[in-house]
Amino acid sequence: MKLLLVEDNKSVADFVAKGLREAGHTLDQADNGRDGLFLASSEQYDAIILDRMLPGGIDGLGIIEALRRTGNRTPILILSALGEVDERIRGLRAGGDDYLAKPFAFGELEARLDALMRRAQGSGETVTQLAVDDLRMDLLTRKVTRADKPVALQPREFKLLEFMMRHAGQVVTRTMLLENVWDYHFDPQTNVIDTHISKLRQKIDADAAQPLLHTVRGVGYRLGSDD
Amino acid sequence: MLRLLRSTSVRLALMFAILFAVAALLLASLIWWRTGAYLDNETDAVISADIQAIGDRLRDFGLPGAMATIQERVAETADEHAIYLLVDPTLTPVAGNLSAWPAAVGAGQGWYQAALERDGHPYAARLLHVSLRGGFQLLVGRDVQSRMAIRTLILNALGWATLATLGLAILGGLLVRRAVLGRIALVNRTTAAIVQGDLSQRLPAGDGSDEFGRLARTINEMLAQIELLIDGVRNASNAVAHDLRTPLAELRARLEGIGRNASADAPVPEPVKAALQDAIGDVDRLVGISNALLRLAEIDSGARRAGFRAVTLGPLVVQVGELYAALAEEKGAALAVDAAAGVEVIGDPDMLAQAVGNLLDNAVKYAPGGRIALSLARRDDGRAVITVADNGPGIPESERDKAVVRFYRGDASRGSPGQGLGLAEVAAVAKLHGGALELGDNAPGLKATLVLGIA
Repeated sequence: MKLLLVEDNKSVADFVAKGLREAGHTLDQADNGRDGLFLASSEQYDAIILDRMLPGGIDGLGIIEALRRTGNRTPILILSALGEVDERIRGLRAGGDDYLAKPFAFGELEARLDALMRRAQGSGETVTQLAVDDLRMDLLTRKVTRADKPVALQPREFKLLEFMMRHAGQVVTRTMLLENVWDYHFDPQTNVIDTHISKLRQKIDADAAQPLLHTVRGVGYRLGSDD
Repeated sequence: MLRLLRSTSVRLALMFAILFAVAALLLASLIWWRTGAYLDNETDAVISADIQAIGDRLRDFGLPGAMATIQERVAETADEHAIYLLVDPTLTPVAGNLSAWPAAVGAGQGWYQAALERDGHPYAARLLHVSLRGGFQLLVGRDVQSRMAIRTLILNALGWATLATLGLAILGGLLVRRAVLGRIALVNRTTAAIVQGDLSQRLPAGDGSDEFGRLARTINEMLAQIELLIDGVRNASNAVAHDLRTPLAELRARLEGIGRNASADAPVPEPVKAALQDAIGDVDRLVGISNALLRLAEIDSGARRAGFRAVTLGPLVVQVGELYAALAEEKGAALAVDAAAGVEVIGDPDMLAQAVGNLLDNAVKYAPGGRIALSLARRDDGRAVITVADNGPGIPESERDKAVVRFYRGDASRGSPGQGLGLAEVAAVAKLHGGALELGDNAPGLKATLVLGIA
């Protein structure tokens, strides 16, 4: 994947760039707003990682607005100092696709980028059925089956599984789950998400030959049949 | 009413009014008493003089002399409405201008106050009855109707004057109250804002020459000193937290990188893998601490207040409860949630959720296998209260004040994971929402009550 990183803090830029290159991405870099906007509007990227506060006359929000005005729909992940709620809302309203507060674990950035790019590639059709291996979910009747056997889920567990199935094969982080399934933007200190996942795992994987819900150590979880 | 009386300024105003009213009443009574006495004395003196003169004539010239004098006097005082009547022992009038002995005057001698009638009009008269030699009775008097009217006039005037004075006294009292209360209310409002975290507020000192001005200046100097100290501490911890974030993130990436770079030919040995995971966990804890510190700094700065909006607490409490229920269950604790409907506050939902989450996190941490009760209610005074009660070891009373201090960890909590920032954050959130975190005894256990401002 071809990515653009616009970040003026050298140590953050270096560590993100190193990680992304190691993960096999092609990366262009800019350390100010002017160069960032030039690259973003002249090249074709799969996603842009953009800092909010930038030197060079135009900040992150300015770049997003300029790109969106010209019809550029490249997915944008905004990086910023501690995510104040209204700041995050402003960033997303300006046309950003996701928002990540510094400091972040590299795995978190990678997982969110992955989710962004897959979403951009998605057909945009409304699906009514989700399936991963022999796990099936009907979004209309709200029925879930594993190997044709019904699985009874609480409403929140259903939402959690739905999010995991929509991101099947991708790593989802605990923060992504907290934000998307619970709509919370706070730090629950203890890994409360883990207990919800393990309850869900019991319901869908307990009697199955092959487990589907995997823990990715230090990052989060992944739903998928492959190992 | 009782609450009103407890206010110094109201008492001051009331005392002021009462003092004025008593003074006005005393003055009016004195004037009334003196003028009344003067009017009465004057009439009585004239009547006595008449009696004296007629008595003298009777002694010197006998009955005809007295009768002649009476006729003379009647003629002389026709316009003064003087009253003269001489009767024989059978009460038959002999001389004078009354046609009959008035029924109101009895047999005894002395002063009488009687209602008489002239040309069909009633009037008040003051009369002196004297018995003469040979059974003759003499009655001399004056029409005091006009004097009575004067007295009524004076009484009315005094009454109105007293009322006006009382009104002025109350007005004066209220003005004094407003002058004093205004200054005090200003001091109160400003200090309340300061207590809520806005340390930049200062009391208006005015020209500063009166007592209030001097007090305000002293308080302002004190505030400046406190602000300086707090800013110093805050900046130090902010700077540390802020500067730590990037190196921590890099460190984490590096640790992750070791595991990722391993290949099938050069696998990372299992013990090293475990050590790496532990190290990553430690880094995550450090990131958590610096995040918590930065959140606290943000809350303290009051910047989050800009995003305040109406929050319905019922669903929020139920959802946070649900989020932690699985964790409690895993630790063998029973979590009961009881949320009243329709309780709203103005606030930041994420921060409130964080506060409730911190309290639940603590409860699960310290009371594993116990009972935890999360409840939301509206107190009688209209404030919303969220309570988390557990039956764990609790916090001794002597340590409760310190429990909300940053990085403070009580004896009971040593050895268990945590950063000593959870309760500090809850207290800061409560303060930002115009409330407080109250720690109490659940006998046994801890009862943490999050009191929020009025909706």
